[in-house]
Amino acid sequence: MIYFTELENLPVFDVKGEFLGRLFDLGVNPSQNNLRVATYLVRAPKKKMLCITHEQVQSISVRSVQTRVPADQLRDFAPDEGLLRIKKDVLDQQVIDVDNRKVVRVNDVDFDIQPTDGYSELRIVAANVGMGAAVRRLLQGLAAKHNIRLVSGLFSSKTIPWEFINLIEPDPARRVKLRISYDRLAELHPADIGDILEELSRDEQKAVIESLDDETAAQALSEIPTRMQAALLESISPEKAADIVEEMPPDEAADVLQEMPPEISAGVLADMEKEEAKEVRGLLGFEENTAGGLMTTEFVFVGDTATVEGAIAALKNFEGALEWIHNLYLVDTQAVLTGMVPLARILLAEASTPLADLAADPLIYLPVHADQRDVVDLFHKYNLVTLPVVDERCHLLGVVTSDDVLELMVNRK
Amino acid sequence: MSIISRQRVRHWRKTLVIFLAVVGPGIITANVDNDAGGIYTYSAAGASHGYSLLWTLIPITVALIVVQEMVARMGVVTGKGLADLIREEYGFRTTFILMGLLLAANLGNTVANFAGFASGMSLFGASRFIAVPVGALFVWLLVVKGTYRQVEKVFLAACVFYLAYPVSSFFAHPDWAHALVATVKPSFHFDAGYLFMIIGLVGTTIAPWMQFYQQASVVEKGIKVRDYKLVRWDVIIGMITTDVVAFFIIVACAATIYTNGSRSIASAADAAVALRPLAGQAAGILFAFGLVNASLFASSILPLSTAYYVCEGLGLESGLDKRFREAPTFYWLYTGLVVGGAMIVMIMSEERQIPIILMSQVANGILLPCVLIYMLRLSNRIDLMGEYRNSRTFNVIAWTTSIVMIALTLLLVVSSFFPGRLPWITPQSSGG
Repeated sequence: MIYFTELENLPVFDVKGEFLGRLFDLGVNPSQNNLRVATYLVRAPKKKMLCITHEQVQSISVRSVQTRVPADQLRDFAPDEGLLRIKKDVLDQQVIDVDNRKVVRVNDVDFDIQPTDGYSELRIVAANVGMGAAVRRLLQGLAAKHNIRLVSGLFSSKTIPWEFINLIEPDPARRVKLRISYDRLAELHPADIGDILEELSRDEQKAVIESLDDETAAQALSEIPTRMQAALLESISPEKAADIVEEMPPDEAADVLQEMPPEISAGVLADMEKEEAKEVRGLLGFEENTAGGLMTTEFVFVGDTATVEGAIAALKNFEGALEWIHNLYLVDTQAVLTGMVPLARILLAEASTPLADLAADPLIYLPVHADQRDVVDLFHKYNLVTLPVVDERCHLLGVVTSDDVLELMVNRK
Repeated sequence: MSIISRQRVRHWRKTLVIFLAVVGPGIITANVDNDAGGIYTYSAAGASHGYSLLWTLIPITVALIVVQEMVARMGVVTGKGLADLIREEYGFRTTFILMGLLLAANLGNTVANFAGFASGMSLFGASRFIAVPVGALFVWLLVVKGTYRQVEKVFLAACVFYLAYPVSSFFAHPDWAHALVATVKPSFHFDAGYLFMIIGLVGTTIAPWMQFYQQASVVEKGIKVRDYKLVRWDVIIGMITTDVVAFFIIVACAATIYTNGSRSIASAADAAVALRPLAGQAAGILFAFGLVNASLFASSILPLSTAYYVCEGLGLESGLDKRFREAPTFYWLYTGLVVGGAMIVMIMSEERQIPIILMSQVANGILLPCVLIYMLRLSNRIDLMGEYRNSRTFNVIAWTTSIVMIALTLLLVVSSFFPGRLPWITPQSSGG
């Protein structure tokens, strides 16, 4: 194991033992091999930057690097976007530790010296984010290497295996060249992705959101503050923003659109599928701090003469997120709310039981213009999971779910 | 109303709404800048030199705006704090050293504010042995229990206290013509006390914590690049407020303590004399109220924000939404600054506090040039700032400002070693 802090500034000699310069940076070429150091940048005298490829390296040790070719065969370094540079792109930058679901700052990078066909190769092993690595950075170049190892060993070491590191690159073209994908990140719980997003600057957030699929992006976005959602969606293309907003629950979609300037939210709405856009538009009209501003239009309702069989058919046809369905709503032929049936009661009843017999009693609901405080009070008093919202003629308009109430309470604190 | 003017009204109303959402970082930074040290320095400047230092306020305001606008712009465009940017661009060691200096400088600032709190409370007759621990506990709980955000508004509202100065100046019938001429016409005396006072004014008004604080609060607000112009107004209004307050404190002191009084300020009671034309016998209480508010405001913000930047720069967990176990360094730093600052004020006599304040002045003095230079280099970087990087004209102004500031700050460091000349840090010793 050798640390970047120990490799940096090592003297480099050519095959004849002639001094070439000092090691400045290491580059990995992810399109060929994402662990092997492909390029060694050497700062030569007179401000020249030499570039040594991994095939030209003979040996690497804590004392020096030696090439197996003479100096005149080395070329000058030309900037290369496809090269991931340890010092420039990794060290001191924020990266995502997918395993621990956190954003961390890299203090040092650990390498292995691997003998291959009689020559040496460097391979990245891990990013180091511990105190020990910080101490090495502080003492680097000020004391002998073995002493630094001794001192830094006294502090905690925290390494993240390289395969769990997700780099954040705001430039999409470079992301492709460096083969940065967020597949592993996408597997995390949306709430964890949301936490990670909150730690990043806007360009970095953009990089992550753009590379996630629309559904994951929508779920992750729902977990961050609405203002941040709006700012982020505004910064990406309206088409992509529309694709993501379509996947969000309608009430959250309406909230975030309300946070945007009208000309931008109109653009997003125009790019959305007609059906989803209509639903969201319907919600946009309600005052923010009323029951209408809290409710979602994703709920399951059936005619009040239906039986359990009919309820199951309605559930099968429902296209929204099933995990938020805790109750079914009964409406008469005029779409007036007449009852609410808990899912568990349906589960236990015979197929032919009329749903009206299973309805919760008393039926609790609120008018759409009711204050949010009344919503909270009702949830608290009756231990509700969902609460139907109606207009002045008692037509069912939407449903407030307990997650919205919880969020309201947490934000108010 | 025609369609166009209706649209214009709507446009203005919308701009106003966005402005109110964006406003804050500049104005809060400005008001925290008028902390105990600020109030004493301005009072001392007016008391000892009358109107003759008023002209410095205009260049100070320009410098403040130039510097704070730059950090606010960096915050909006990059979405990163100053400590983060320095870490990413200049590496770990640089960041570590700067954070160490910031810690030392802000320990000194915290001490100065608890000392200000103690002297304010002494006018209410409270012993510092009771007042300071109670004040420290109050501040600590306020922040840790998460009630700070609400109380911030109270602190800010209480800053209305500064209105007492213009009103009091009015009643004291100062020589307004003289004061206004002195504001626009620079005068210069090669008298050591006068020079020290200028350096002190600059040092207390433009401090490194302000750059870190303002950039971080702009980032935290998540202000969009599109709204940047409004941020600039927030900065300009905030910084002008600071110096308008300074102006009236100086005028009030010049019209009272300088004209009729002892021309020196040895205690909070002396400084309160400036408010006598307004409040009569209640001047002491009014002054004490303002001083206590300013001190508590600054001692809530400074230790907390210092703990934030240090942890962020060094890549450690930080934030009040984390538990103690998750972010131990953050909580220890914050607690250490509050408790340490309070302990120093309680246990050490004023003379013994001098080395600590000296250390803080030196740390500030080394820190400010570094911060200014890093800031100027970062805000000229095309890859970071794009079209929002400094223009050439702006660079000329900013570099000139920075060089003057650096020279004055270094003078301040040197002058700190002559404690008899330090009215702005130990008001008690200025009489000598």
